[in-house]
Order: sequence, then C-alpha cells, then structure tokens
Amino acid sequence: MPEPTVLVVRDTPVQLLRAGSGPPLLYLHGAGAGGRWLGFQQKLSQRFDVIAPTHPGHAGAPAAEWVEHISDLAFHYLDLLDTLGLTRVHLVGASFGGWIAAEMATFASHRLASLVLIDPVGIKVEGWIYPFLFGMDLMEMVGMIFRNPVAALALAPSDMSLDTIVEMYRQSTAVARVAWNPYLYDPLLRRRLARIAAPTLLAWGAHDRLAPLACAEAWRKEIPGATLQVFDDSGHVPHIEEPDAVAAAVTEFCVAREATS
Amino acid sequence: MKFYYFHLMPYTMEHDEASSWVTLSNRHYDPAVGHTLYHQYLDQLEYAEALGWDGICVNEHHQNCYGTMPSPNVMAAMLVRRTTRARIAILGNGLPLRENPLRIAEEIAMLDVASGGRIVSGFVRGIGAEYYSTAVNPTHSRERFYEAADLILRAWTEPGPFAFDGQFYRYPYVNPWPRPLQQPHPPVWCPSQGSSETVEWAAKRRFPYLMVFTPIKRIAQIYGEYREACERFGYTASRYQLSVNLPICVAETDAKAEAIAREHAMWVYHVGLRMLPQFWQPPGYTSESSLRRLLSTRGKMPTELTYEDLEEGGYIICGSPATVRDKLRVFADELQAGIVCSGMNGGTHEKTLEMMQLFAEEVMPHFREDAQVDETVGVGR
Repeated sequence: MPEPTVLVVRDTPVQLLRAGSGPPLLYLHGAGAGGRWLGFQQKLSQRFDVIAPTHPGHAGAPAAEWVEHISDLAFHYLDLLDTLGLTRVHLVGASFGGWIAAEMATFASHRLASLVLIDPVGIKVEGWIYPFLFGMDLMEMVGMIFRNPVAALALAPSDMSLDTIVEMYRQSTAVARVAWNPYLYDPLLRRRLARIAAPTLLAWGAHDRLAPLACAEAWRKEIPGATLQVFDDSGHVPHIEEPDAVAAAVTEFCVAREATS
Repeated sequence: MKFYYFHLMPYTMEHDEASSWVTLSNRHYDPAVGHTLYHQYLDQLEYAEALGWDGICVNEHHQNCYGTMPSPNVMAAMLVRRTTRARIAILGNGLPLRENPLRIAEEIAMLDVASGGRIVSGFVRGIGAEYYSTAVNPTHSRERFYEAADLILRAWTEPGPFAFDGQFYRYPYVNPWPRPLQQPHPPVWCPSQGSSETVEWAAKRRFPYLMVFTPIKRIAQIYGEYREACERFGYTASRYQLSVNLPICVAETDAKAEAIAREHAMWVYHVGLRMLPQFWQPPGYTSESSLRRLLSTRGKMPTELTYEDLEEGGYIICGSPATVRDKLRVFADELQAGIVCSGMNGGTHEKTLEMMQLFAEEVMPHFREDAQVDETVGVGR
C-alpha cells in the first residue's frame, strides 16, 4: 500500500493514495472502502498512475461541512484534478464513487479519457427502490452488498474502539448528508447522462441486490455508446469480489482508449 | 411543586420482532382496540384535571406501539374543549420533522386562543427513529430544529407579514392568523435526554428543561449544567425551569406498588423502547462529542433494564403514598425540580384511575407550598 499523503484542494485537506506509472487514473471508492488500497487498485497501478482520494468524512478523514449535495463532491474532484495539474484522466468509480464519477462526467466529460462505472447508484430507475442500507444492521448490509460474504472481510474495521466507532459514524453521516433523501440518487442526474461524451464502460455484478442488472440497463440506455460488462460471480462490488477479472476488463478498456485518443 | 399528568398513549402488546419502532407492522394495530384506548387515555387526562393536577401532557411519536400520538396537536385539541383549568403541555412537536414548521406556529396559536391561554409548547427534535419514519435527513436535524424554532418564535412575536429566508425554510410572507393568546407567546419547554447543545440553547432562552426517562444521577448532573449555563447567561434558573418526566406507581403498600410496577411498568422499557441500534442513532443525529460522551458512559439499553435498575436508578418512583412522598422529596428538595410530569399504569383503565386518585389524595397535598405560584411567569419566554 502506498504511503498516504494529504493534498489541499480549495482549503479542504484530501487524503490521497497514489501509486503506479502510466496515464493518470482517478479512482473514486464506494462508501466503506475509503483509505484502502485494494487488490483492484494494485492491479490497475501496473498500467496506470492510480490516484485514489478518500471522500471527506470517510475512513477517518475530516468531514467537510460545505458538502451538501452529491454535485459538491463532483466539483471537489474536478478541483482536485486542477490542483494536480491533470487536464485529462481515466475516471473509475465504484458504487457511491460511481455516482460521483457520473456527476463529474455530466459536467466535464472533456476531462475524461474514459469513464468506468462499477455498479453505480445515483439515478432513479423505474420499478426499483434501492433497499435502505441505513436501516440495516451489519449482517443485513453485508448480505445486500456481497455475493460472497467472506469478501466483506476486505472492508472490516481494524478494531471496534471508541475512535473507530466515531469514525464510522462520521462516515455514515457524510454519506447520509448527500444520500438520505432522495435515497442514493440525484433526481437531476439521469437526464443529464446524455451529455457524457467520454467512452464509458459499465461493469456490473450479476447478483447485485442493491442496484440489480435492471439498473445497469437504464444506465446503458442513457449514456451514449456505453458498453456493459457483467461479472457472474459478484454482487454489488465486483471489483472486490472478482478483482482480477474486473481490473483486467478496466485495464483493457482504458488502454484501448489510450490508443484511439 | 407542580404536577403534570403525562401520557404516552401506548398500544400495549407483546411481539417477537426486533423493533417496536419503524418496522413493526401496523397490521398489529387493531383500530377497534385503538378506539377504546384513545377514549380511556383521554378520560385519564381529563380526570387528572378533576383531581387537581396542574397540567396534562401529550407528545409526538411516529410508527410504533410505544406511543400512538403522531399528531400531539390533534390530541391537545380534543382536551381543550373537555378541560377548563389545567395547562395542556405538548411535549412536544418535533420541529425538524415538519416540512412546513409554520404549521406548528399556527396550530399552537389556535390551541392557545381556543384554550384561553393554557398551552405549553414543547419543542423537540424527535428521537432517532423518527428520522427513519419521516425520511427527514437526520444530518440536518439540529440545524432544522434551531431554524424552525427561530421561525415559530418570530411568527408568534413579530407583527406580520415579514419575509423569512432560512437554509431549510423560506417564506415570502410570515403572517399567521391567529396569534397566540399568551404574551409574548406560550411557554416553550425543551424535553431532552441531556445533550449539551440543547442544555445551552434552552438555558439561553429561559426555556424549561425536561429530563425524560433518565436515571436520577444523570438528572442531577444535567440540572447542574443547566443552572451553570443560566448563570453564564446572567440569571439564576427558576425551579420551574427544571422538570422531570418519570413514571409513578403508587398503591396502599410498598409491596402492592412493586407488584403492579413489575407487571405493568416494565413494558415501556422491554417492549415499547425495543429498537434497532441504528434507529437510536441515525447518521448525523448526534454530534461526535455527544456520541463520545454517550458511548463512554453507556449504561444498559432500555430492554436490558430490570425492575431493580429502574427502582434503584430512580428512573421510576414506586411505593406506598409515604414512600412516594419520600422519594419525591429528593426531587423537590435535593434536585430542586419544580415540575414533575408523571404517567401511571395500574394495569387496567379503572385501576389507573384509582391510582391517580390515591396519588392526588395522599401525595400531592404534601407538596403544595407553592399552590399560589404561577409556574409559567418569567420562564419559557
């Protein structure tokens, strides 16, 4: 795991993990995976300069009181690209991070060499209401997110000390701030997806119970030219459940866009 | 000491589900039973006035069997026309839970005018579970509470129309008709379980602080913090700013009272307050400093409390009239609490009425040194 560093983006300190060489790739983690360097990121770093910031309030990072809406986080990461002097990146976001990535793409897809969304939430899909994770206990939540519950150990907290519990509370507060109601989506986002001009890959777990494949179809329909790749042995987090296969697919997709751009 | 009769209006039932809140299916609610219960409960509140209680209390909770008053103002409206003397304390309206809190200013003003100025208006945030039931974002809870309180107080006291432009609530015209009868506005109370932020906020405004279902040691600590805050704000707290909500169980003998409490007082804790942990603490509902204080001093969950815990911890007052008098003396003399809000449960409607009568005859008269004092003068405003 690379040494964490702190980058100040418009007065907000951002905890950053960065490793690898090659074209820059911004990776936005899902809720619960902040501050971690997963096998998926490690694999991507073999071909890319992987930049993995921790969302404000996640994984022990200080909360940013100014974050009121998911678009605040999207602009936060566009500001981060400016701070790093990166005009164009591959953007990969998983789940909650995929939602932020999709918002960024609707604002500034010219900044993206490619866009990869892994089981994103963020849009309303007719006939589907996202199950309310805030109302679930840990075991229910694990059952909702993972096809194989053992894979959840990758995200287990190191201990259950008072400090850790307070950090976990800060993290769920940061998510709730932007996602409690409307729950896990931005009513404005879906119509705006048509603005995305970057080549887009949708990577989806076949057994996702939070955002099932019907959601993937809605995303594919809305983002011009998006391709969908389904991972058969995964639930909501294929990059954690099948890291090799998903990293290979993402690498192949992004490398191909390097060649054509 | 002033006595207010408090009612939760529970739908008393047994069930095996993990939570009595939010997710307990309302198929368990039988409206025919509910009809009988509402009338018994309202009869009890009306009887409290006849027996000499100074006030009667209703409160707001949603989607549970613990208390079936999602709209306390509706219950208060029924009591306004059936009582003539007692104060009607609404403890309270959940301000942040409303999308349009100006409705609270309007409804309380209506009740105050209709009741001839007998309304006490409690302001609460609502407990954590309420944010699951109403879908209001719990991370906005405290900011919405402060903003709604500001709006309501201004709506009652500033001649309208005026514009209000808050972070959560915005109105081009604030101009509610009617205005409240009590001037400058009905007394405002803050029922709470002791968060330091609420203590400060209430003390600054001379709003009475009501400790709800809290062990006596913690009540003493929070009262101390409240009094100290009042001194910092440049005045000495009146005893009528310090009130407590605790159940009372009184019978002819200690043994009889204990038997009744063991059978009927435990339901509130073991069933009524059974709740998933996340419903107690939704994200952002509690500040990090309050959460640290809560976790490091954490006692038992309500469902883990035994009768002995309640009795020894001073969560409830139970015993013969003489014993109850002695225990109340601790609140009156040592804690210097000016108002006791209590509900009673004799097991049946008739036995509850008998218990109320026993209390009114054998206990209450011993605490009436302040019979001529109006507990609302100079406080809550």
